[in-house]
Amino acid sequence: MAINVKVLARPVEDVSYVRATLKGMALTFRHLVDPHKVTVQYPEQRDELSPRWRGTHRMLTTEDGKAKCVACGLCPTVCPANCIKLVPGEDEQGNRYPLVFEIDEFRCIFCGYCQEVCPEEAIHVGRHYENSEYSREGFVYDLERLVSQTHAVCEMWDPTDPRGE
Amino acid sequence: MTDRKMITLTIEGRQVQVPEGTSMLEAARSAGVLIPHYCYHPGLPVAGVCRMCLVEVEKAPKLAPACATAVADGQVIHVHSDKAREARTGVLEMLLINHPLDCPICDQSGECELQDYTYAEGRKSSRYREAKRFNPVEDFGGDVLYVPNRCILCTRCVRFMDDVAHDPVLNVSERGDRAVIGKFEDQDLTHPWAGNVVDLCPVGALLSKDFLNKARSWDLDRAASICPNCSQGCNATLETRDNVVVRIRPRPNDEVNRYFLCDEGRLDYRWLNRRDRIEYPHVRRDHALAPVEWEIAVDAAAVALRGRQAFVLASPGLSNETLFLLARIRDRTGGRGAFRVRQGAEAPLPGVPDLALRADRAANGRGAELLGFSRSETPLEGLRNGDVLIVADEELAGIDPASVATAVARAASIIVVGTTLPAWASGAAVVLPVANMAEEDGTFTNLRGRVQRYLQAKQAPGLVRPAWSALGDLLTALGESALYFLPSDVFAALAAAVPAFAGLDYDRLGLVGVPVAGDGAATAAAGALVGAAP
Ligand code: SF4
Ligand code: SF4
Ligand code: SF4
Ligand code: SF4
Ligand code: FES
Repeated sequence: MAINVKVLARPVEDVSYVRATLKGMALTFRHLVDPHKVTVQYPEQRDELSPRWRGTHRMLTTEDGKAKCVACGLCPTVCPANCIKLVPGEDEQGNRYPLVFEIDEFRCIFCGYCQEVCPEEAIHVGRHYENSEYSREGFVYDLERLVSQTHAVCEMWDPTDPRGE
Repeated sequence: MTDRKMITLTIEGRQVQVPEGTSMLEAARSAGVLIPHYCYHPGLPVAGVCRMCLVEVEKAPKLAPACATAVADGQVIHVHSDKAREARTGVLEMLLINHPLDCPICDQSGECELQDYTYAEGRKSSRYREAKRFNPVEDFGGDVLYVPNRCILCTRCVRFMDDVAHDPVLNVSERGDRAVIGKFEDQDLTHPWAGNVVDLCPVGALLSKDFLNKARSWDLDRAASICPNCSQGCNATLETRDNVVVRIRPRPNDEVNRYFLCDEGRLDYRWLNRRDRIEYPHVRRDHALAPVEWEIAVDAAAVALRGRQAFVLASPGLSNETLFLLARIRDRTGGRGAFRVRQGAEAPLPGVPDLALRADRAANGRGAELLGFSRSETPLEGLRNGDVLIVADEELAGIDPASVATAVARAASIIVVGTTLPAWASGAAVVLPVANMAEEDGTFTNLRGRVQRYLQAKQAPGLVRPAWSALGDLLTALGESALYFLPSDVFAALAAAVPAFAGLDYDRLGLVGVPVAGDGAATAAAGALVGAAP
């Protein structure tokens, strides 16, 4: 069955590939003579992360090294990925404290809600992205692991300009 | 009530008719309008101390406390006018002056009336810059912990102990901004009903030690239930977290328990979470119990019963539905049945008529009697040589196991229909694992003959089935028509077969229950929803 194909008359300068090819080649040559660097020599070299980068979590501690978390239950409630497991209980002094606090970093979508909701400034998302483990279970961070992380944490807002003005 | 004059008034633009003498707060509630309140509680005398319930009445010079003001004909009441809201915002600001705002570590968080109303009508920020008052946490005895910093001095707890429990242990000590709830010296909150102050407290000032730091209120799943721990049949809510019962709280029912639950009832829930459950059906093979499919176990039980008389040792904690099916197995084989009720001290709540922790520490002794089981302290006495003993979820705790074992030896064989396998029944031929009351739907009959429903609160472990379902299959295997798909089907059969239950069905029972026919206490308005549904 014959189809009537309509052939549009288009200006040659719009459809010609010559110009585009020359443009690309020009860029290549420019880089050849002026080697300004676009490649980061990772891991010897690292880009600086934004202060609002949201990566793997870290639990901040009080002066005596205990997690600041009081097991209020807000972060497991707000977490959209449902990846925080919390069993509230008491510590040796009878203060409210998490018996179990686990974050599944595989399920986490790094939204940072947990940091935002935490009334104790305990749980934080970190300025950190290098994760590797030998097993999937390794990505379920328990309280001990969260407390022992040392990377910088996310700054949700600029402390000098909290309203972003 | 009926011969009282009716009064018509307008609340928030809605016309309502209420009997003369009703308070504005209750009138508003009947119109579906919530007037914020703290010191008012329907189960307690009115105090009018918190001033949270202020409302604007047209043509009145000043705001009126809705809980303590009776309605008048033609009144027009505004709950959410600017003036009323401003007054309540002021009350909230005053309440929060010394409040620690430690919601993150407060057990009440999520079910706190101070949180709720502050969120709805409070100021956005505090203007108070001085140091807050501080008082240490105090152990009030019993199950109760007092956190004075959170107390808003509504005096609900004091009024409960004075006017309902008639055991005046609490008082308001000190005055002005130093006032706290105090306990008379050498007295503790050990009244058997004292735990109710924890539920009554609108904030997190009175806490249950048992529930302390265990769960967040929004993590809990709730099911309407009946307290299974005595024959009073208090209406309750079973609260579970991750399939574990963590708390029992009262569910209002004016005919039974009003707003209350006794301490023993509210604290004795751990048996609902037992771990030593039988989870699979078993039959005896080569002198040992072997796990099998349900069909095989049910058939084995039917074979064991064939040509023999059944002796049913029933638990008074089983539902009417289960007891009815057991009674049918009993009658079909020409057998007998008995049950034993664990006894304890009776403990009344003086402020509520006909409410007590009853001596019978099981929920359904009355139902077992109505279904023809005989009550006995030594229930195995009636077991004759050559009977088939059906042990229906009874462990005979507190009876010397050796004497039980000798009595049990008379049986030709044993069929266990239960949640656990008692040591004296380990020689059973068939074991059918069944759900406990938190894992099934059913009904209990309380000591006054009131039939009340309870709903499933958690999942049963393993291959466990509700007893009514397993026994329905067993009856079918015995040759009766007993194909039931729902507990309501079993209840319908029960209502058709037993005159005392005639005319009842799940819809009529609702969630507050109905007295059985021909009972002395059968005067109550049946099925009407009373009190505030939680
Ligand atoms: S960052 Fe978001 S998804 Fe990840 S744990 Fe926190 S709340 Fe959950
Ligand atoms: S929000 Fe903060 S204090 Fe609350 S449970 Fe999570 S980490 Fe702990
Ligand atoms: S009493 Fe209510 S407002 Fe006060 S800390 Fe507890 S939850 Fe928060
Ligand atoms: S302890 Fe609770 S119930 Fe008692 S006065 Fe204080 S706030 Fe009210
Ligand atoms: S509820 Fe009316 S004054 Fe407290």
